[in-house]
Amino acid sequence: MEETKSTEGNREVPWGRALTSVFRSGEGLGAAFPFARGKVEERKGRSRDGVLAYLETLEAEAHKLALKQEEEEEQKKQLVRLKARVKELRAKRDELRTKVELQEKRLLDKEGLVTDPAQPSAQTVLEWKIKSIKAMLQVFYLSGISGKRTKQGVCFCISTAYEGTYLDSYFLDILVKSEVQIQRHSVPVFIPLEQIAKEHLQADIRRFLAVLSDHLNAYAGRRYQADQLEERFSDRIEGTLQRNSLCNLLVFNYNVSSDSKPFPFKVKLLYGDLCCSLPTEAIISCTPGAPASLAEMAAAHSEAFRRMALHKAFNSLISAEGSQD
Amino acid sequence: MDEIIAEYIRRTVLRIPRDDIAAVLQKWGFLSETQLQTINFRQTKESISYSVAELCEENSADMKQAAMLDIICNHIYPNKRMWSVYQMTKTGEETDFFDFTDFKKKFKRRLQSALINVTINFREYEDNAIWIRIAWGTPYTKPNQYKTSYVVYHSQTPYVFISASVLKSNLPLLCQALLVASNYHDIREMKLRSHCLNSLKDIVFKRYSQNFQTYYPRQERNVPTENVDLRIINENRNEKERIQRLNQEVFGDGPQPKLDFAQYKLETMFKSDPKLDVMERKEPFRCLVKFSSPHLLESLKSLAPAGLADAPLSPLLTCIPRKARNYFKIRERKNFLPESFLSP
Repeated sequence: MEETKSTEGNREVPWGRALTSVFRSGEGLGAAFPFARGKVEERKGRSRDGVLAYLETLEAEAHKLALKQEEEEEQKKQLVRLKARVKELRAKRDELRTKVELQEKRLLDKEGLVTDPAQPSAQTVLEWKIKSIKAMLQVFYLSGISGKRTKQGVCFCISTAYEGTYLDSYFLDILVKSEVQIQRHSVPVFIPLEQIAKEHLQADIRRFLAVLSDHLNAYAGRRYQADQLEERFSDRIEGTLQRNSLCNLLVFNYNVSSDSKPFPFKVKLLYGDLCCSLPTEAIISCTPGAPASLAEMAAAHSEAFRRMALHKAFNSLISAEGSQD
Repeated sequence: MDEIIAEYIRRTVLRIPRDDIAAVLQKWGFLSETQLQTINFRQTKESISYSVAELCEENSADMKQAAMLDIICNHIYPNKRMWSVYQMTKTGEETDFFDFTDFKKKFKRRLQSALINVTINFREYEDNAIWIRIAWGTPYTKPNQYKTSYVVYHSQTPYVFISASVLKSNLPLLCQALLVASNYHDIREMKLRSHCLNSLKDIVFKRYSQNFQTYYPRQERNVPTENVDLRIINENRNEKERIQRLNQEVFGDGPQPKLDFAQYKLETMFKSDPKLDVMERKEPFRCLVKFSSPHLLESLKSLAPAGLADAPLSPLLTCIPRKARNYFKIRERKNFLPESFLSP
């Protein structure tokens, strides 16, 4: 092996080739062998062969060293690669280990639940409690009157709704000192709050809240009906819908056809009861000189407005007219 | 047509910013589309105003139309006037239906019975606001159309917003007419004044955002998502959060009503070192403190977060929207504790 190496090595160095071949031919291949292993003594011993021969030996040694270095480097690289591989494998092993653990734990949990339902973890209990409290608070809010204790009293929230649609919420900040006082509120100014408070607040706060809630819900309902009428039937109404702040007086005009001729009806809706969202009076007037049959129609329409929600009543009147034609 | 009316219309048009003139005239509706198209809105305001005056002469505008134009201008630009708030009270408990035609009739009758030379015009808006324009004259002279008062009234509310003009002497008459027309018994001026009419309405109608404590609906405060660099630690985070929380409790989350100023008249004793006896007579030290701002409440709200004042702010400042006033008189409390208190 070494021989072939050395010959190869010698082949790489061009100017020494001739000399080495001469040398080899002179003393045979075996002679190269002791050279490679030769140390200083041998070199010293051969010095009499000449400088070139000495250089040759040095060159051969250098080459050998280079080869050795290469080998070492290769080994190092191999080592690094193998170390990395070891790391990889270790990581994989850990992963698989945790997976196995989790699986085992899950199995245990399942079994645990089945075997021990009376001991759920504290975490789940807390979560369930929070959930049920939130649901309770939502129920209170949806019921229309809810409240929260504050430092100085209570803060009530009245949420209004009309026929399943939730509308605005109004708040009252109530102080409870020697007497019950409203500190601040978001009730609109046209709702007779002071009146209701004077009557009921000190005596029975529940009654106060109930009465106020009635007023607010009725107002929200009336406003909702008026808004719906404007939104959905704006094409059928002549001009605009006139209303006041409390929406308890509505005036609008619309056309009815009799004998294929349009006649204008003027409607005046009065809501006498502020806690009610249906009108107490529905006055329909038409132009003088209108046919008598219209009076009947007017009475029927008035009845409809008093019985049903405004937009529904109007809708039924329109569709009735449509079916007539 | 009257020269005076033409001139009045011309001068009213001159008060409108040039870019808005076309829109305002459209809203007025007195000039037809074809007529409006003949006006070149790119020329100077002077020229536009003359064109408009000419067209109005063609259509023979009367004082009522001219007054309508004036009302529309004031409705679009209400912040050019200073508005005061008046509160009416009544003892009766009847449900009031509030008929607009009824109101107009009563108001006109009452006012004209006392003073014949007065021009009154009404206009109703969708938010139930009634705008009344009054041009005052004297028993001997015709009404001066350039000296007008405006009244804004929302039906079935006890509040009236008045922008009085120079003629303050006519105010009692105006108040009388309002009481009669709206079916109330008494009227008094509130200590609340500002240029921004809508903010005054927000304050007295309680339309601004107040912070009420409720469980539901959950008032989720959206945490402002800043570009949080995790390497930056805010040393004063606790303090900042405390200030933020207090601010939110006092001012709420939404935009504040716009006020121009808050005025505090101090009639408190001057407190000094007894050794330096500055005041020989023990008299209240009269002093007037006025806070002015383009948007007073927003600036008060930002004082604590900006580090310019301690939180919580003095209740004298934070009670402004709640008490619906921006004029205060602070007097000495009559006992040994030298604290001041707010006069009712």
